[in-house]
Amino acid sequence: MRSIIRSLIILALPIAVLWSCTDDDNSEGKNVQDTFNRQMMLTGIADEIIIPSFEHYVSKLEGFRVAGDQFSLEASMPTLEQLRLTYLSAYKAWQHVSMFDIGKAEETKLRNYTNIYPTDPNVIEGNISNQNYNLLLPSNYVAQGFPALDYLLYGVGQNDADILSILESNAYRSYLSELINRLHDIGKDVLDDWKSEFRTTFINNNGSSATASVDKLVNDYLFYYEKFFRAGKIGIPAGVFSGTPISTSVEAPYSNRYSKELFQESFVAVQNLFRGISFDGSTTVSSLEDYLQHIQELNQTEDVAQKILDQWSLAEAQVNSLSNSFKEQVETDNIKMLEVYDEIQRAVVLLKVDMLCSFNIQVDYIDADGD
Amino acid sequence: MTYKFRLLLILMSGWCLVACSDDEMPDIVIDNPAEYDFVRDGSSTVSFSGQSTRIAMATELINAMKDFNASSQLMLEMYANETSSGGDADPYSDPALNASTKSVKSKVAASSDFFSSNTAESAIIKAEIESWIISQVSEVFPRKDNLAEKGLAGQIADGSSVRYVNADGLEYNQAVNKSLIGALMLDQMCNNYLSTSVLDAGENRVDNDAGTLVDGKAYTNMEHKWDEAYGYLFGAASNTKNPIPQLGEDSFLNKYLKRVNDDTDFAGIADDIFEAFKLGRAAIVAKDYNVRDQQAEILREKLSTIVAVRAIFYLQNGKIALENDDFGGAFHDLSEGFGFVYSLRFARKANSADPYFTKAEVDTMIGQLTAGDGFWDLTSTTLDQLSETIASKFNFTVAQAGS
Repeated sequence: MRSIIRSLIILALPIAVLWSCTDDDNSEGKNVQDTFNRQMMLTGIADEIIIPSFEHYVSKLEGFRVAGDQFSLEASMPTLEQLRLTYLSAYKAWQHVSMFDIGKAEETKLRNYTNIYPTDPNVIEGNISNQNYNLLLPSNYVAQGFPALDYLLYGVGQNDADILSILESNAYRSYLSELINRLHDIGKDVLDDWKSEFRTTFINNNGSSATASVDKLVNDYLFYYEKFFRAGKIGIPAGVFSGTPISTSVEAPYSNRYSKELFQESFVAVQNLFRGISFDGSTTVSSLEDYLQHIQELNQTEDVAQKILDQWSLAEAQVNSLSNSFKEQVETDNIKMLEVYDEIQRAVVLLKVDMLCSFNIQVDYIDADGD
Repeated sequence: MTYKFRLLLILMSGWCLVACSDDEMPDIVIDNPAEYDFVRDGSSTVSFSGQSTRIAMATELINAMKDFNASSQLMLEMYANETSSGGDADPYSDPALNASTKSVKSKVAASSDFFSSNTAESAIIKAEIESWIISQVSEVFPRKDNLAEKGLAGQIADGSSVRYVNADGLEYNQAVNKSLIGALMLDQMCNNYLSTSVLDAGENRVDNDAGTLVDGKAYTNMEHKWDEAYGYLFGAASNTKNPIPQLGEDSFLNKYLKRVNDDTDFAGIADDIFEAFKLGRAAIVAKDYNVRDQQAEILREKLSTIVAVRAIFYLQNGKIALENDDFGGAFHDLSEGFGFVYSLRFARKANSADPYFTKAEVDTMIGQLTAGDGFWDLTSTTLDQLSETIASKFNFTVAQAGS
């Protein structure tokens, strides 16, 4: 009997979704015109969030590169420490741009070359020892970017003295430099494109088709939220999809102390885009939240934006109780990771169903098959 | 409660059919258990170790195809479980498989109904799968460190994953994996073990009626044949008596039963299949061959549906990815689709001696997928047309299968 009820609910759900998403023509007073100024929202997001985030990111990469050059000149504990500090700053700055997989970033697959993890030490060591590698190949995603640097700076030896002596060798030093320089160059290409041409293209593509900027931006945002933020940082290491926790699949497992900090940084970025908070925090711009409220006022429906924000507050509170090292958290008390996952997940329905319906945006990605 | 009710329904339908069709045996009572669990004198009569073995062998094969250190000789030995000259081979990592005399290849396109007098085609299919194994090593592996281009094998990004494709964009490992679902599993089930030509072969009926067991075994021949069909779907399950709660435990038919069952348009198909297997087996115990054969027909249609739905699903997803210029994602979908299309050759219509598609029809579809530069050249029109061609033979739509 219970299973019959469950089946009915499962059957009824998609119908309810379809209903609220499609024709409202026949229901009184609901056929309202969406008069929200999409171009104004795009302009604010580009000028106050995306471009400043990339500027910040590239400036941190420049610092990282300078520290890399210093280390190349003189490998020592102080220069290694400096390199690690600038690594962390750049990695945190990355969390603010990762979701903008649009324009040049999408075309050059910036995210794949920057932050695919877990990294593969075997591939890295193979590249270093045979010196014959092509970092452009997709099979080398796992041997570059921040995850590979996390391995090199923290995991290549048993302790700091070991790490230093290994990195001192020419082969390691040149691979390290190459990774840092490449990270910088591909990030800068995207920033340059935003500043030269793409800003205008992005802002002027202000319609509401599948290829319009708002539709793409929102889809990229949700894809990021589901795949990289929810699954990558929490769900996969907690074993949500495989059934078995994989503690080594957390972000930055070799440094083993920054995964929470990186997650919290990305959570700030996720919320700032939604709320239209400028990168420097000094101002707010027209945002997804405003857009949602605009639709809600027109339709006299409930305040979904507030529900999303409330849900995120719950998630943030849960995150605070986690260890700084998610690896350690998974290994000692994975239930807490799963609880965070659940809170993050609860916002997915609000974002993916309620918000997308309000904006009349079609999801343009499908959950990968996993095989 | 639910179970008793279902049993009652089944018994009622069985009674009605028996009563309506012939009056000779009006009071057969089928004892349909809750689980696929049949016992005689305290011993289980269920056995399908040979199927579990072949699933395990096929799994090692498809994994080896993704290992750049593996040779084509090793892979071919995994396929045939013998050396190229017919000698004993030990290609598997699992010693139990090396000790086995069974093989994947000998059961590819080898059903009684479709291939016993069609050995030429059987040989062509066996060799075709072999050629994909060989080409993986000769065409794709040497270009593993190059980017794939139109007309050139190599690697290509699919999201954050890497796919290794031939010059047409086809992943041979996917072609082998998904084609085996039809050529091995579906063919052996629908056209062999569920067929009267096998179930009733020789003295099987007489023996089953008399309860005559196979020498040294706890089962009759007919019982065992039915179990062997069951084993091709559930032979890798951790709970083979009650496998439905944990579907997806192999990389073959079981996995895709789960996928189709998870699609709301086809929800319940897993239960339907399990119930048909169970009732059919119970009917054999009860010597009710009408009910047995009715279940076989249900199974043919439902098992064929799995393959057809997944063929369309991947063609449609490949189409969407191509439209988004996501070649890597598209090629991966289309490689899976290729294998499922190939598998349609083995799909069997209910209450018929015919396949849903002849070899010639499937070859035409495969030809459309691989024409010119293959997946690089595919258009949405072709993929939609192929999807419609498949759906038109079944009672579901492209839209239902495609998402």
